[in-house]
Amino acid sequence: MRNKEEKAKGALHYYLQSTSGIVGAVLVLVMIIVAICSIFGITPYDPVEQHIENILQGPSAHFWFGTDEFGRDVFSRTLEGMRRSLTVSITAVTLAATLGVPFGILAGYIGKWFDQLVTRVSDVFFAFPAILLALAIVASLGNDWYDTALAIGVVYTPIFIRVARGPVLTVKEMDYIKISRVLGFSSFRILRKHVFPNVFAPIVVQIALSLSWAILTESGLSFLGLGTQPPTPSLGLMVSEAQPLAAFAWWTLVFPSLFITIVVVGLNLVGDGLRDALDPARRSS
Amino acid sequence: MNLEIKNVEKLYKIVSTQTIIHALNGVDITLPRGKTLGIVGESGCGKSTLARLVTGLESPNRGSILWNGLPIHDVNKGSFSTKKSAIQLVFQDPYSSLNPRQRIGDAISEILSVHKLAEKEMINSRVSELLALVGLANDLKHRYPHQLSGGQRQRVSIARALAAEPSLLVLDEPVSALDVSVRAEVMNLLIDLREKLNLTYIFISHDLAMIRYISDLVAVMYLGKIVEFGQWEQVINNPKHPYTQALIQAMPDHTVIGNPESLAKTLEGEVPDPVNLPTGCAFHLRCIKATPACTFATQTLIEISSQHLVACMEVQA
Amino acid sequence: MTVQPLLSVIDLGISTIQDPRVLVNNVSFHINPGEAVGVVGESGSGKTLSALSILGLLPRGVGVVSGEILFNGKNLLTLKPEELRQIRGNEIAMIYQDPMTALNPVMKLGKQLLEVIASHDGIDSESDNRVRALLSEVGIPDVNRAMESYAHEFSGGMRQRIMIAMALLLSPKLLIADEPTTALDVTIQQQILALVSDARKKRDMSMLWITHDLGVVANLVNRLNVMYAGRIVESGTVEEIFRRPKHPYTAGLLSSLPTSTGTNRERLTSISGVPEKPWLVGNSCGFAARCSRVQSRCHNEIPLSVAKDDSTVACFFPIGSK
Repeated sequence: MRNKEEKAKGALHYYLQSTSGIVGAVLVLVMIIVAICSIFGITPYDPVEQHIENILQGPSAHFWFGTDEFGRDVFSRTLEGMRRSLTVSITAVTLAATLGVPFGILAGYIGKWFDQLVTRVSDVFFAFPAILLALAIVASLGNDWYDTALAIGVVYTPIFIRVARGPVLTVKEMDYIKISRVLGFSSFRILRKHVFPNVFAPIVVQIALSLSWAILTESGLSFLGLGTQPPTPSLGLMVSEAQPLAAFAWWTLVFPSLFITIVVVGLNLVGDGLRDALDPARRSS
Repeated sequence: MNLEIKNVEKLYKIVSTQTIIHALNGVDITLPRGKTLGIVGESGCGKSTLARLVTGLESPNRGSILWNGLPIHDVNKGSFSTKKSAIQLVFQDPYSSLNPRQRIGDAISEILSVHKLAEKEMINSRVSELLALVGLANDLKHRYPHQLSGGQRQRVSIARALAAEPSLLVLDEPVSALDVSVRAEVMNLLIDLREKLNLTYIFISHDLAMIRYISDLVAVMYLGKIVEFGQWEQVINNPKHPYTQALIQAMPDHTVIGNPESLAKTLEGEVPDPVNLPTGCAFHLRCIKATPACTFATQTLIEISSQHLVACMEVQA
Repeated sequence: MTVQPLLSVIDLGISTIQDPRVLVNNVSFHINPGEAVGVVGESGSGKTLSALSILGLLPRGVGVVSGEILFNGKNLLTLKPEELRQIRGNEIAMIYQDPMTALNPVMKLGKQLLEVIASHDGIDSESDNRVRALLSEVGIPDVNRAMESYAHEFSGGMRQRIMIAMALLLSPKLLIADEPTTALDVTIQQQILALVSDARKKRDMSMLWITHDLGVVANLVNRLNVMYAGRIVESGTVEEIFRRPKHPYTAGLLSSLPTSTGTNRERLTSISGVPEKPWLVGNSCGFAARCSRVQSRCHNEIPLSVAKDDSTVACFFPIGSK
């Protein structure tokens, strides 16, 4: 009988057999390193510092991604922007999952009035398009990164409720759950050992996907002028500011967009890899 | 020590259509310890509902179920090691009976540790013992359910049930989902275990041949009621209720061949909707012996000869 | 003069297409006009795939890789799609285990049945009566109401009857039945078997009945093919196979089945192990791993079907020999 440590090693082993999983993990890892560099200030230049004499220069040895209309180093700004995106999205998704998953599981398992209540409440949230809802919340709260994270987190909570609840409804009807009750196991044990392990795979995959959506949402919000305010860089804000410049200063648009794409695609591939790694039935054929 | 099912009724309300399903309409059974009760019937007869009630998964709306004088819902509570009178269950589907994320060994040892049925150091060897008891190799401990065949999974389900040291085992169609060539092995295993461990069985099936092979007592159910009950030789070789007779006649029998007339005496009609029970005797609409009286008089089980009970006016007369 | 078989399956081989795995291996059998033939086997035996291949209904990813299927002399495997379509429903019809998938849930019954006629013979003034007569023949009460009803309004047994009616509508010469009664209650199953038997005799129609239940074919078919791990291991009349089984698998299977009558409760003889997967068999007898009569030859050679009188058996050491 093996313990948790060996089970985690086993999952890792299977994850590494998925090409998309590996590619995704590499991409995401690179972006995380990028973000960490920014946290420790390891950027070639200060992202906000203006070099008036070097405005709108293309990529060069001095400024790897070129400069924008204020002479700011696009590379340093991109690093800082990625840090911002990841910070907001990780915080937001952690919030959404921590709130949504327990409610979803309990709603699915307990059923009856509790399930009705939870479903109706999340239906209300689902009625609004995510962006609009986030917009409304950010507009009322403020533009700091934690306000954006909170807004996105609140908006994504219903998704986790649904993703956790659905599989629970199916698993609840399985014979092994009924037999666990006949065997006299407590509900807590059944939820912990028999329900949760059979529903957490879609939840983990959803986390990876939500991280990528959160980044897009944050970019969208700052593109629209909410969330991050200039001169602080954010990938979405950079894309927005690059609109009038793109025709003659392509680097101001391309690099931030590229980074957004890489991290989003990377997270999606990680999601694929996780889904395959976590399903025991898929593994041994 | 015995099982007493007293006048049990069970209803299900379907909210969406506001209908009530009468799953069990007054069932009485006394099953002595060590005996095997075979329950046979077709869809809608209530046999699976009875299995759920006897194991405590659901409660009857009326009536009571007692095991050794103790109400069912008290039987499987608390630590099993102090009760030694658990009732356990084996289901039909070998694929949904085991947690796909739990190794076989863990599934069995979980019961031992939760109910303190073995000292920590002894758990591993007890699991090996249980696997050997059902004829499985020891190294299956480390496997996941999807790596086992259907027959092996059913054996694991049996081993798991036995880990709880039950005295009564409810088996709901335990071999119906298995390949035909595998069934005999599992049936023989059940018979051997019964003798070895002095188990009481409730064996539920739609397959009369299996019922005949393993049962001491047989109950024939139709639409939530027992229509005939008695020793297996009596019920199967000397059936008195028209439904039992029709059921036996309808069973495919590979020992009777080249006899096209066997298809001629078929039972007409279908099993009525358990939402709209016929008045009087539930079987009267399809019964060849039906009289006008059958339309309004509910039938009760009456003993017509030693320990042979039939719920039919025409027979009792 | 010997009658030409209505259907001849010759050396049929079926495999998965990508990552090829043998599913059906060199299967040959025939059905004479007016005859009922059964195919009996467990999971993985290849019985269903063999039947589906007759009408070109193999699932995606699975294909016929060898052999011929001759229907009235024409090889169905080489027909153009339009020609095959002419035969489907019209000359060869099929019924399945789950009638719900054969019936359109959003179309009224009468319309569906008329559509079957329309797609082949063309509707005329008699079509409506034909449909009603057939529904009556298969035992649907209140035909008028049934014509205006939808599939979900009927019980499982009734839907099976409707599916049978649909299959018989164009008076096919051959009816293929793939476990149509497996999911039904025993008393309903008996009704359906009686119905099919009568309909068959009335029309002098041939039938191929596929099942895992030996009891069902005992009184339903004239001849039987027993399949195991993708091959036919024994074939013959029902009498021969049930009374004098020659292949150890057939014999083992028969003695492992409990009977539903009598006072004898002798211990059943069980066959150890699980049904073999066809693609793992290779150059040996598929049953070798479980056979009580096994010898070294069985592991190294494929036993071919040997004919004796009217039966065949694919075994090096059949029962009754040394």
